[in-house]
Amino acid sequence: MSLKNVAIVACGLAPFGVRKATWRELVQEASKSLFDDVQNLDKKDIDSLFVGAAMPERFAFQSHVAPLVAEQVGIVPHKVVTRTELACSSGQSAVRTAWASIVTGLSDIALCMGVEKMNMPNMLETQTSMACVLEREWDGVQGASAPPFFAMCAQRHMHKYGTTVEQMAMVSEKNHHFSTTNPYAQFQKEIPAEKVLGSPMIAPPLRLFDCSGITDGAAAVILTSEERAKEFTDTPTYIIGSGQCSMASNLANYKSLSTWHPLKIAAKEAYRSAKIGPMDLDFAELHDCFTISEIIEYEDAGFCEKGEGGKFIEEGQSNIGGKMPINTRGGLLGTGHPLGATGIGQIVEVMQQFRSTVPKERLVDGAEMAMTHNLSGAANVHSILVFGRSPT
Amino acid sequence: MTTIVLPYMLDFYPLQDEDNTRVHQFYASLREGKLTTTKCKNCGGLFWPPRVACPGCNSDQFEWVELPDEGELYAFTAMLLGAPLGMEKDVPFVLGMVLLDGTEFKVLSRIGNTKYEDCGIGMRVKLETYELEDGRVWFRFVPVD
Repeated sequence: MSLKNVAIVACGLAPFGVRKATWRELVQEASKSLFDDVQNLDKKDIDSLFVGAAMPERFAFQSHVAPLVAEQVGIVPHKVVTRTELACSSGQSAVRTAWASIVTGLSDIALCMGVEKMNMPNMLETQTSMACVLEREWDGVQGASAPPFFAMCAQRHMHKYGTTVEQMAMVSEKNHHFSTTNPYAQFQKEIPAEKVLGSPMIAPPLRLFDCSGITDGAAAVILTSEERAKEFTDTPTYIIGSGQCSMASNLANYKSLSTWHPLKIAAKEAYRSAKIGPMDLDFAELHDCFTISEIIEYEDAGFCEKGEGGKFIEEGQSNIGGKMPINTRGGLLGTGHPLGATGIGQIVEVMQQFRSTVPKERLVDGAEMAMTHNLSGAANVHSILVFGRSPT
Repeated sequence: MTTIVLPYMLDFYPLQDEDNTRVHQFYASLREGKLTTTKCKNCGGLFWPPRVACPGCNSDQFEWVELPDEGELYAFTAMLLGAPLGMEKDVPFVLGMVLLDGTEFKVLSRIGNTKYEDCGIGMRVKLETYELEDGRVWFRFVPVD
């Protein structure tokens, strides 16, 4: 069997934020945006649908969401129709699965829709639902959810490598700055580091602006083979590598909080499959659900030496003009984090960077290669896709 | 108005009796103040949390062993904002990962009888068990005197 190169040929977004809109309305908005972006595509030719959604059962009291999305966007998928759930990586999972389906020739044209509606009239319900992203019976039951877990990662990283809360605040400042250039982002205001350090404590050492938001949003892409890509766009984005690793679930079984071993494994495989080294990338979208996450990711994705992530942000290496621009659309910290939509939202940024359609102040000029990374749960799963402006 | 009789399925605490779980012995031991887990009789693998099938050698023959009831804080934080439903009244509370003596298990637990400011990495803690309002049993760690 010959394996196919895969291209992304169209992308669409529903604005991220605290939206006065339902789950299905977000889907329709992203769908409109998506189909406005593509030429010459007959919806009848879309044979597969992958829906990335983390918790519609909890947030929207809705299961079996793939047929609902198919109807909302007006397609009759007849090769593959399914939902992918991997908590915070649900969106990337949709694209990974669509990619695999096209690689093998099972699907010809696939639509991926990532969506989450997280803001509810009673936010306590959202907070409670988020606790089941951890292993609920043994870890969630203790009252833990994402902020306490990442707080302990920060504590261990500070303890072992001398990372500071000031360095963490700089990550938030950078990403909130980028999100002011992004009209689709939840947060539209500059948050200087001092403001981060003065914001309410959530789970020490993490404060409010060390944490990504509770967000509604949707994002969508269309994938097809390299052979067909040019029918639909002059500027396809190719998937040229990938890696993914899951290691442990119960926190008791973690090797380390300050080194994310599954990320190291996923990154190694992503670079191997793309036949590149980390510094061959021109920019990256990393999963900055918390400021400490981005710092650990600089290290374990291979952009700097272990323990030097704090220095990396302090020196401006993750800004435009630095060694590796990170999260130019504003990251999860600035754009918000609608779980199922996040991974696809990052891919939209890659595509728009390659097309040079993002505002100038966040453009990585002449970028040829990039990656998107998501972690999920308590950072026990890491997923990476590598993209190129050309297929190899 | 329908009254939901506890325990219902979407609360946090596991269903603990033999009608609902094959590791009910864990909870029976916890009621006696002991933290236990399963050890594979075939390969000797020790797992947390308890198992009914061995992920190492595929055996389903286990014995119950007692885990150390003391350990040290590997990491800790406190929940100050955003606690889940039913736990709002506990805020603020300390959470920590307890490295159980002589094991590699860093068990996540509430750390009672203390404040965040008074904790430190390496602090000695010991097991404490308690009964939930509905009669189920649970555990936490507290500083060693």
